[in-house]
Amino acid sequence: MSWQAIIVDIFTYSLLAYSVLLLSCYIFIGAYSVGEIRTHLYKNSFTDYRQLASASQAPGMSILAPAYNEGANVIENVRSLLSIHYANLEVIIINDGSKDDSLSKLIKAYDLYQTDHFVNEQIKAKPVRGVYKSRNKVYKKLIVVDKENGGKADALNVGVNIAQKEYIVCIDVDCILEQDALLKLAKPFLENCKERVIATGGVIRIANDCIIEGGRLVQVNLPLKFLPRVQTLEYIRAFLLGRMAWSRLNGLLLISGAFGAFDKEIVIKSGGYDHNTVGEDMELVVRMRRYMEELNLPYKVGFIPDPLCWTEAPDNFKILGRQRNRWARGTIETLKMHRVMFFNRKYGFLGLVSYPYWFLFEFLAPLIEFFGMFFFILFAVSGLTNWRFFFGLLAVVFSFGFLYSVFAILMEILTYNQYKRPKDILKLLLTAFLEPFIFHPFVVWSAVMGNKDLLQKKNAWGEMTRQGFSTPKKPN
Amino acid sequence: MIYFETVALSFFGIAFLLMGYMLIYLKIVKNRRSKYQKWKNIADLLVSEAIFSEDNDVNHIVFAINHRTEILLKNARFRKVLTKEILSAKKNMSGAAGLFLQKLYLQLNLDHYALKNLSSKKWHLKAKAIQDIGIMNLKAHLSKIYRQTNNKNELVRMEAQIAVIKLIGFDGLRFLDVVSYQINDWQQIKLLSELSYLPANNFSGIDNWLLSENDSVVIFALKLIRGFHRFELYHQVEECLLHMSVNVRYQAILALEKIYNENTSEMLLKQYAIEVVKNQIAIVKTLQQIGSEEDIPLLISFLKNEAPEQKRSIVRTIANISENGLTQLRLHPDADIAPLSLIIKQIEGELSA
Repeated sequence: MSWQAIIVDIFTYSLLAYSVLLLSCYIFIGAYSVGEIRTHLYKNSFTDYRQLASASQAPGMSILAPAYNEGANVIENVRSLLSIHYANLEVIIINDGSKDDSLSKLIKAYDLYQTDHFVNEQIKAKPVRGVYKSRNKVYKKLIVVDKENGGKADALNVGVNIAQKEYIVCIDVDCILEQDALLKLAKPFLENCKERVIATGGVIRIANDCIIEGGRLVQVNLPLKFLPRVQTLEYIRAFLLGRMAWSRLNGLLLISGAFGAFDKEIVIKSGGYDHNTVGEDMELVVRMRRYMEELNLPYKVGFIPDPLCWTEAPDNFKILGRQRNRWARGTIETLKMHRVMFFNRKYGFLGLVSYPYWFLFEFLAPLIEFFGMFFFILFAVSGLTNWRFFFGLLAVVFSFGFLYSVFAILMEILTYNQYKRPKDILKLLLTAFLEPFIFHPFVVWSAVMGNKDLLQKKNAWGEMTRQGFSTPKKPN
Repeated sequence: MIYFETVALSFFGIAFLLMGYMLIYLKIVKNRRSKYQKWKNIADLLVSEAIFSEDNDVNHIVFAINHRTEILLKNARFRKVLTKEILSAKKNMSGAAGLFLQKLYLQLNLDHYALKNLSSKKWHLKAKAIQDIGIMNLKAHLSKIYRQTNNKNELVRMEAQIAVIKLIGFDGLRFLDVVSYQINDWQQIKLLSELSYLPANNFSGIDNWLLSENDSVVIFALKLIRGFHRFELYHQVEECLLHMSVNVRYQAILALEKIYNENTSEMLLKQYAIEVVKNQIAIVKTLQQIGSEEDIPLLISFLKNEAPEQKRSIVRTIANISENGLTQLRLHPDADIAPLSLIIKQIEGELSA
């Protein structure tokens, strides 16, 4: 056997072993999530959230919504947040040095005046220029903070410094929350006696082409365009299967920055959001977990499968590419910052399972896929490996990806069934079939570019242009 | 290579099987939807007849059940729809209408199915049966339900605790004597909500619960004292300030706010020095409601060493206790130095808003 053949064999069988391991993980995640979702649904059928809405003992929640140049929709977005059902609530809008007229619009619409507010800087952040409250008692829950521009993480840190309630709910200002979202998000914090629940996340769904009126979602529609539709499928897979399984294992490393609730005390003790990373949402959860592990305190990061938050997904490749590039950089930065936990027994399940999984299958997967494909084609063209093997492995991966998506769609139908028309289900199935040919290669490419940008020390956030929800369209 | 093809075909095969199941499921759901609507109409009619019954004798009334409904009652899905409608109506009805609904439920033998599920090994069926019995106020089954109040399954236990309160009111709280599992905050909110519908009376047992080894029982007892203003238990609450658990002491501070006497402020100010930050803030907030001008000098002395968040609470309390409070604060040596100067400004703003 020539040395070239030995190298090719090592390469081929390593790739095969990696694929088998990855697929096994997905099978486990899919199967394991079922039990958790079923338990949640049974429990939910016994829950009357109105009891919490009216309870004087409901925990205090501060919604933190950073806004940068959101002038076009900020009034509607704030109105949506103020309409959420929850008594013990404050809504903090952090104007992160917007260059547009966001602040003046808010002042006018909500009759705001500047107050003398002492900002207790428990977490270091850019200076606050002013804190505004409304003269109108109807908006007494609203606080608008104007600060120097410092990015999303910095704005959230200012929000944490201003917040007066026990729990903070960090959201993107343009997200649409379900009316009972906070009631559902608050419950896990109240349910656990043995472990301290330090964070809770809920399912985020894609709002493109849904009908939004007065800041409220009134009709769920499947996105008409392919890109948002494939992201709908991707989110169903990730939230309904992936995160539920990790939640059951108490191994969740990520609560999405678009919507998550955190124990304020632990956020402050862990040092708040890190503005040196573009993956500040994941980094905070990892740091909070690390803090609890190092102090040997029992804790849990919760997750609920109910769709609570609706957001607009990128509908063109340019914006999508920026988003995925940033997500890849955020993951790598977070893993690098906390590399001490890698297979470190001191961090228990976090160090031995969660962190290695993210390293092997979230960070490395796109790189292995990209370079694996490249070298496979190279070897096949050179006659060092045969095409049948190449296409055989490709068919296995493709068929599994399709099966996993079909399973996710089935779970969606059996649980929340947001897309009720059979036509929509057929469209989702077709999307699942096409995804590996159009969407997936692009996402892998964006992640590879993210790695490259990080090596070149490019750390831009990447502008996220959104269409906004002001002009709802009726689907066909 | 042949293995790859077999594996890929297997995956596709399973995917197509799932898709087939999906389509059949959607078809069944669609068919059921119209059937459910018809069943719901039948159930609504029965419920309306019970609610608006003109008969005055609840004990002897017999509702007319037509032959079609009798046949449908053999269908578990129909019973589920019917039970749901009766329970939903019962939740919102009291008095005679509630009793008629109970009578209808019993006449249709729906309690038999609930009792059957009560022995089920599936926790969600058991919990649902307990919930049904509680809502329908079937006191005859109290002992069976009471046994479940310390069940190892959390949801069964929680539903049983709620159900015994529905069945016998405050007397149902006697499960607190024996419960060995923690009662989480969510369950405490549910229990308090359930009790809030009942006429408050001087129920007994709180003094024993304050001595429980289960901290969550002590916390719940303190919430009861707070909610129902049980002044006679003042000294027992005072003793809870010496409890090992921070959360018990926290609840004791909150309870004292509702049952305070002329010595409470002084006692809480003494407690302040030995408390954790969370409880110190709770003490200061309590003093905002029960404090007097005499407490201001001591509160001002606390400003010396405290972190900004506590300082803010202290200043707010001082300003709310007396109109003179802010004047005294302005005389403080640090009154012109941040953060105290900024805090005073903020509180001035809050008062004038």
